[in-house]
Amino acid sequence: MAEVTPGSRRSGRRLAVLSIAGMVGFFAFWQLLALSGWFPERYLPGPAKVVETMFALSIDKYSGATLWGHLTASIGRFGIGFLLAAAIGIPLGLLMGWYRWLDDIVSPFFETLRFVAPIAWVPFAGLWFGTGIGGPTLIIFSGAFPPCLINAYRGAKFVDKRLLEAARTLGASGPRIVAEVLLPASLPSILAGLRVSAGIGWQSLVGAELIVVGSGVGYMMVQGQLNVDTPIVMAGMVAIGLVGVVIDFTLRSAEGRIKKHWGR
Amino acid sequence: MSRITFEKVNRSFVRGGESFQALADVDLVVEDREFVAIVGPSGCGKTTLMRMVAGLEFPSTGSVRVDNVEITEPGPDRAVVFQAFALFPWKSVEENIGFGLKCKGMGAVERAPIVKRFVELMGLASYESAYPHQLSGGMQQRVAIARSYALEPGVLLMDEPFGALDAQTRVVMQEELIRISRLNPRTVLFITHAVDEAVYLADRVVVMSRRPGRIKEIIDVRSVRQRENWDSLEHIEEVMDTASFVHLRTHIWRLLREQHEAAPAH
Amino acid sequence: MSDTSPGDTYRPTQQARRVLIGLGAFTVAILIWFVLSATGFSTGGRFPTPTDAWRAAVQISTSPGYAGGTLFQHVLQSCRLVLLGFAAAVLTGVPVGLLMGASRRVDALIGPVFSLLRPIPPLAWIPLAILWLGLGDMAKIFLIWVAAFTPSVINTYTGVRNIDTTLIEAARVHGAGTRSLMLEVLVPGALPMIFTGLRLSLQASWTTLVAAELVGAFTGLGKVLSNAALDINPGMILFAMIWVGLLGAAMTRALEWIEGRALPWLK
Repeated sequence: MAEVTPGSRRSGRRLAVLSIAGMVGFFAFWQLLALSGWFPERYLPGPAKVVETMFALSIDKYSGATLWGHLTASIGRFGIGFLLAAAIGIPLGLLMGWYRWLDDIVSPFFETLRFVAPIAWVPFAGLWFGTGIGGPTLIIFSGAFPPCLINAYRGAKFVDKRLLEAARTLGASGPRIVAEVLLPASLPSILAGLRVSAGIGWQSLVGAELIVVGSGVGYMMVQGQLNVDTPIVMAGMVAIGLVGVVIDFTLRSAEGRIKKHWGR
Repeated sequence: MSRITFEKVNRSFVRGGESFQALADVDLVVEDREFVAIVGPSGCGKTTLMRMVAGLEFPSTGSVRVDNVEITEPGPDRAVVFQAFALFPWKSVEENIGFGLKCKGMGAVERAPIVKRFVELMGLASYESAYPHQLSGGMQQRVAIARSYALEPGVLLMDEPFGALDAQTRVVMQEELIRISRLNPRTVLFITHAVDEAVYLADRVVVMSRRPGRIKEIIDVRSVRQRENWDSLEHIEEVMDTASFVHLRTHIWRLLREQHEAAPAH
Repeated sequence: MSDTSPGDTYRPTQQARRVLIGLGAFTVAILIWFVLSATGFSTGGRFPTPTDAWRAAVQISTSPGYAGGTLFQHVLQSCRLVLLGFAAAVLTGVPVGLLMGASRRVDALIGPVFSLLRPIPPLAWIPLAILWLGLGDMAKIFLIWVAAFTPSVINTYTGVRNIDTTLIEAARVHGAGTRSLMLEVLVPGALPMIFTGLRLSLQASWTTLVAAELVGAFTGLGKVLSNAALDINPGMILFAMIWVGLLGAAMTRALEWIEGRALPWLK
């Protein structure tokens, strides 16, 4: 995009300097605030302390497990809920895109339930599954399911009509069309949906772990909060952010590689 | 007085590690209130020349001046009519036309009569409150021209303004432009692909070479127009039928064809 | 879903048929619910029956209500906080997005810090917010602000960046200074995307508030949900969930209506 500020031609280097300055400034400001003594250290640890805590947590246990232990539990829960959402949502979406009667039946339920935020399922999750794996799975599923379904549906609905006509004139039946035409053609849309779905799923996981579980990063943060152990809380936040970035990055590269392979 | 001076203008840029020269040693003077058209093959840099006067691009070496003042940024004294109209979709016809005046700091009361004048001048009466998407291409371009004219700029820059219009609307707009320029003369730099258009509208036609763009020849149309009295003819098609017009047009076409023949086949 | 692909328009009779099938499926589901509850299928009192839901509705709607207030009071509290937090987020987020979109320098300065903090989910801020601000209104408003700020900024930023360059040039060649450019070109041009950002911010606000109230609060719909879970009152849980969904939908519709009014120039 052309430069909006009038009469200017900025060099890339000056911008890079600004970026670095911004980041350094942020951390410096944070560290200074922590050192200033205006806030008790228990409530506002500096960035150095947070990093130190993260390293310490890699070795020592807190509330039952090390940071890695908690992360594994969290990621595991996320994985189950996410895979379940994809395994049900994508085929259902494609089928709904093809069979209108299915669309007519499922849509009303979907549209009503969609408005309930995933977090609102927490009470039922706790009630029905206690602290078992079912609870978080339900919550993550409720968040991760809609994008999978919607994107598969849209992908199927907006497939080039000519491809469908070609398939039908060659004698393909319904199920075959869904599997061999709709699925590949919808792949870009589905992949985009998976990325959104993973994002929402990971966020919903955090919410679930604040309440209905006995392990995991969210649980660790709550324990930290109850013990007024702010470094633990912040360490948890950083860990969650990092994992979120890694998940998104992985899906993005998978999406990129498939796009290249299929020549889009 | 608005006199455009191009002095030894060169423009090169780097893309993908290679250096390209868009313009080479362009020297040109456009006199006050002269209508100059620039034609040339694609990529010859004619649009770049116009954008330099507008202040949207700058020469690598050499200078571009208006009234001996070097150009450093865009401004209302050098208004531009774009090929893609560039009307603000969220403003009505009136609001679009009044935009430049608003930027100058004119209040609504001051603006109203000026806007009204140009609405009538461009034949837009009863469309004042319409939004751009409700208008045809020809109407939109009229609004764009009105918007620039309302500023009464010293220099009017037009970048293939009729390129996006269908052939018939195009002809109508060309006649309109002649009419307004007679009523409201100003210095015009007009970029176009269409040789017919250039010969019909301009006082002088500048023919450019392929990249790197140089001025190949400048043809004086005004003297021919005056001698053959084209202005006495009412319609464009009558003018384009005269031997003198055809002769000029063919000459320019030949110049352009030489460019094509010199080009390696793509 | 009401998505229609090109060349696949729903004719009136098809539309009617679709609505009927939808209603039919819904009615069947509700009937099944009634039947299952009546035959005592409910899994040890953990699945809400229609009578449970009705009882809960009555209890909370009449004084003294449930979990410290009537339905009206809880709804009022939750909505109030959402609106406050949402307003704060939008009034800070949109200008920041505009600045970042318009100026490469501001973008370079603030962008990276933004990208660093963005991956942290809003819900992950809850323990910190409780630590710093307790369980009261300020904590909730802070959390809502954290959640709603980002979508506003990002969508405003994208909206500005996506404006056709030619329009910006057209403004400049007609004499627009920075102020005119901002107010008359950038803001209106980005407005459609700004509204998308507002919608996302509102959704995030609502979700975050409910979550925050669930974790710990004195009053509000989330608190109702939380108490109902601890009391093992599935009817109340269901009733509160319905209200969470309803209010979320209502707010989104209201915003869409405003959007329709504010953008008369869109085809």
